[in-house]
Amino acid sequence: MATGRRVLVSGMGGELGSLVASLLEDEPWVEALEGIDADPPRRHLRRAVFHRVVPGQHDRIVDLITRFDPHVVVHIAVWEPYSRANPDQARYLTDDAATSVLGAAAECPSLESIVVRSGLEIYGRRRGAPTRPDEDDRADPTSGYGEMVAGIEDTANRLAQRIGVAAGALRLATVIGPHVPSPLGRLLRMPAVPFSVLADPPFALLRERDAAAAFVAAARVRLDGPVNVVAPGAMTALRAIRRGRRIPVPMVGPEWRFAAQIAYLAGAPIPEHVVEMFHRGRLADGSRLPQVLGIEPQWTTSEIIDDLYSWPSIIHRPARVPAPGMVA
Amino acid sequence: MSTDGVVALRPRRTAPAPAPHEIDDWGRDPRAVGIVWGAARLRWHVTLGGDQLVPKRAGALVVVNTRRYALAPIYTAFALAEALDRPVRFVGRPDVAPAGPFVQRLGGLLARADEVTRALHDGDLVVMGAEPTAHPRHVGRVDHRLIGAAVATGTKVLPAATASAPFRRGARIEIGSPLTANRKRRGPLAELELADQVRERIAVLLGGFGGVATGTPLDWLPFSGMGGA
Repeated sequence: MATGRRVLVSGMGGELGSLVASLLEDEPWVEALEGIDADPPRRHLRRAVFHRVVPGQHDRIVDLITRFDPHVVVHIAVWEPYSRANPDQARYLTDDAATSVLGAAAECPSLESIVVRSGLEIYGRRRGAPTRPDEDDRADPTSGYGEMVAGIEDTANRLAQRIGVAAGALRLATVIGPHVPSPLGRLLRMPAVPFSVLADPPFALLRERDAAAAFVAAARVRLDGPVNVVAPGAMTALRAIRRGRRIPVPMVGPEWRFAAQIAYLAGAPIPEHVVEMFHRGRLADGSRLPQVLGIEPQWTTSEIIDDLYSWPSIIHRPARVPAPGMVA
Repeated sequence: MSTDGVVALRPRRTAPAPAPHEIDDWGRDPRAVGIVWGAARLRWHVTLGGDQLVPKRAGALVVVNTRRYALAPIYTAFALAEALDRPVRFVGRPDVAPAGPFVQRLGGLLARADEVTRALHDGDLVVMGAEPTAHPRHVGRVDHRLIGAAVATGTKVLPAATASAPFRRGARIEIGSPLTANRKRRGPLAELELADQVRERIAVLLGGFGGVATGTPLDWLPFSGMGGA
């Protein structure tokens, strides 16, 4: 691996983006690290330079990126529907970020590699679709989020072909972590959780630290092509609900719409791709990951679910400065 | 991805496997298998022979004859899993709720060559059925595309004869020795020839079950367990 490389992380403000940035700071081959996002990073970064850019400021994005002239672009700025934005906003923000960031990256003469965030939703769950699709299977998204990530991969691939650089895509299973805004995580932590009583199919998850490690490895090896990143094992909604000691609410079909409205009012809206996962499952073959990136997820899906239910709802932190009249 | 069984093979995954009681990467739930197999024993009393021929750890494809509605691949998979103390998958799950996800929890795979190839490549034991027939002594066509999955992965193919009766509990499974292609072929002829060979071998194993063969239409009545208890 050549040293002295400049790396740009888009979406550095998010939990995953800031985690990737903090791991990249420790990489010896990274000479300079810069990031852009609409929100400031969630953790303290020592070396990275962060630029807060409001979505839609295309000129500023182009100016920042071309001035930095990165060798590697790690594009994590993907808004999962109902994670931080409603589905329409999420689609707009994701498409906008992909076009402006990757478009600006194409103008950089030093660019060698692009790594983009994608998802298992890209395979879709049409009837007759493979149970555990691998990277050679056709992308056939059947949800809005699946179409979003397919669009990102398509943009990256077309750009990479045009300018002759490597383009890698990490197709992540649903990412769950203590501070990751995940509609699935929110839903499963509700006191009562709906599930499809007629199906209850298995799905796989991914811990955010494993996802971040995959991004760093992909940037290091100049990943070219897609790779599934999925934790070993699987879980069904009912088993997860029982592990979390939540109340299972069996659903047959039409009442899902009503349940989604109730969940929306309760602060845990259910996006289309999560409903699809509860009905059709979502597994994938992750055997290419160790072969290509030399890493493996450290958390199994069951451990991720157990960990999800062990997070405290409220974290009490003592005041740094004692109140007047109080003895420290 | 085409379903002709040609998939790129990769090194096997070495990540820590989920705990034995957890749902595995294919969605098989050992707890669900235990419950269903416990209930299934009320229906079938299975006598299993030849299980010492099945690899203890490596992948293998077991091909069984199936009488219509007899669920032979399922009880064969359950009986083998119990005898060998390892997960066994079977081919032929539907992809529609509620049956599809339920059968997936029991170890069912879609009848796609790419799925079987990946399972065999992962070192799994997979049971597939020949085309169902009405007569308990007949062996239906063996899907050569699924046999091609074993050829592509270099795993053993074992023929197995099964017999069960609709109104009795007795069921019998006899596994034969592994088969290999007679000739080395460069193309798909290898899987076609191997499929034919498997079919013939199952017929020979069925003949070994004995039972009444009157040569009259009485033989067509599916009452005989052919050697079952």
